[in-house]
Amino acid sequence: MVRWLNLLKANTRKEYIELKRYLPNTLAMLFTFYFIFLGMFLGIQVIGDPGSQDINTQHVIVNYIFWFLAFMIINSIGWEVINEAMRGTLEQLNMSPMGIWRIMTSRLIATTLLYAVMIVFLLYLSMFTTGQWLNIDIVSIIPVLILTLISMFGMGFIIAGISIVLKQVQAFLQILQFILAALTFVPLSLSPLLAYLPFVKGVDLVRDIMINGVTLTQIPAGDFLILGFNAIFYLLLGLGIFFYCERVAMSKGLMAHY
Amino acid sequence: MESIIEVKNLKKTYKKRKTREYIHAVSDVSFHVHRGEILGLLGPNGAGKTTTIKMLCGLLIPDSGSIQVNGIDMRKKRLHGLRHISAVLEGNRNLYWRLTVRENLEYFAGNRGFSRKDVAVRIDELLVQFNLKEKENELVNRLSRGMQQKLAIAVAMLAESEVILLDEPTLGLDVETGYEVREILKNIVRDENRTIIISSHDMDVVQDLCGRTVIINEGKIITDDKVENLLKLFEVRSYTITLGGLLTEEQQQLMHQKFPHVVYTPDTVQSTLEIDLAKSEDIYDLFNVLKLNHIPVESFDRSTVNFEQIFMKILKGGETHGSLAQSS
Repeated sequence: MVRWLNLLKANTRKEYIELKRYLPNTLAMLFTFYFIFLGMFLGIQVIGDPGSQDINTQHVIVNYIFWFLAFMIINSIGWEVINEAMRGTLEQLNMSPMGIWRIMTSRLIATTLLYAVMIVFLLYLSMFTTGQWLNIDIVSIIPVLILTLISMFGMGFIIAGISIVLKQVQAFLQILQFILAALTFVPLSLSPLLAYLPFVKGVDLVRDIMINGVTLTQIPAGDFLILGFNAIFYLLLGLGIFFYCERVAMSKGLMAHY
Repeated sequence: MESIIEVKNLKKTYKKRKTREYIHAVSDVSFHVHRGEILGLLGPNGAGKTTTIKMLCGLLIPDSGSIQVNGIDMRKKRLHGLRHISAVLEGNRNLYWRLTVRENLEYFAGNRGFSRKDVAVRIDELLVQFNLKEKENELVNRLSRGMQQKLAIAVAMLAESEVILLDEPTLGLDVETGYEVREILKNIVRDENRTIIISSHDMDVVQDLCGRTVIINEGKIITDDKVENLLKLFEVRSYTITLGGLLTEEQQQLMHQKFPHVVYTPDTVQSTLEIDLAKSEDIYDLFNVLKLNHIPVESFDRSTVNFEQIFMKILKGGETHGSLAQSS
């Protein structure tokens, strides 16, 4: 457990240092996020139905923030694998007695923690810009968010595994951001089966909490069961695919190839 | 002497994507490495060295065969085995260029489960040992290639593993830094009883550092012997004969027939014959041939050979391996 913790600390520190060292890049990312958000907000103001402007803006804030979170967690792990292979450090990571899957887990957690800080800032900035103050009920949001994040980690492992084998997956990662957008923006009312896709249920519940003021005790147990099922299912699926891809890469000698 | 690495009947085959043809990268390779020795793993490009090294450090799964590191089966308990082995496979590319020297050391230690506090003293020692103390807060991308290479080795050292694998540790380094790295490696083995496996094309490095070499060609081991033995053996078997004139066509043909590895350099005043004998006893045949064919000999000298020449001779004459192994 101590070794796990040291691994997590080392990766969080590294991610933080790199975010600082690549500060222009980090700032550009935040500005891009904010300007796209402004574009959507103005779109609602200009061409949206005046009667539902407020609710639409609130939906956009929650969906867009969630998409950014999913995008950062899931996509960034794919980019990290590609970058590590290009740098020549991927093999070094794979030689750690902790196992590359543990390193990737710490990277996912570290990325989530660091981006969570940025996301909270962006959330308040978005609310301030639009004048739409959402219900930030931490006690209700955190349990839902943790279960949702676990299913995102599962997706992250799938992307990391595919990247380890194929490496040149940049085009796929570009497409993935639209898939993630679809998963976060789609309303669950379209089909109940969508609840079994990764993090769709989670986003729906967070929307309920932040927009409709639903509290933790008001969330039906069935919804939590679905969230829990999704978290376990996608995490296990992600790990299974990751281990399989790692083995394929180690059998075919693809670990260092780019 | 205790073996820290035991490799038995290792095989690895790749399938070419386009032609679907199978390439036997490593075929039935077996060798062992003693604790506290520096072993040179040598061979021409494409011989199977890198494949062997990657299987040793658990980056590549062999088709068959076994690898034991400190008694641990790498195929069954890979992560456990990796505690005993570390490697520098791509030199300065194995580092994070946007982190400082110290941050790199701390990060890689963290990836093996150590805290910054656990390794603080050891990092200070390594920085001094590798002459990097003044650069500890410098970003890696601002260091010279030599310093980056030293840092990569320091990272491998920090792992506290008994075995360190180094692929081309002195590639691209200037003479001074190359010498410094060699001295550091010697000290590591002498003072810390670690085991080092070096893969290199620089035969001066091999001759200077390695006690023993395993030479691989076309995926097979063609020589496994002490450097000292190989030097002695080839010195004994390599001669330069200075002749008092030219050889006739007939004499030349006869020499080539009897001694296929002879090199004749004609000169009207003093011609030379450079000859490698397959066995030391062949020297008697050589005397007979020279005498019976009235070849005028002015001097007969033992040739000085360096390890590079030996390496080339072994590669060219794979059939001599048997006799080498027996002689040692």
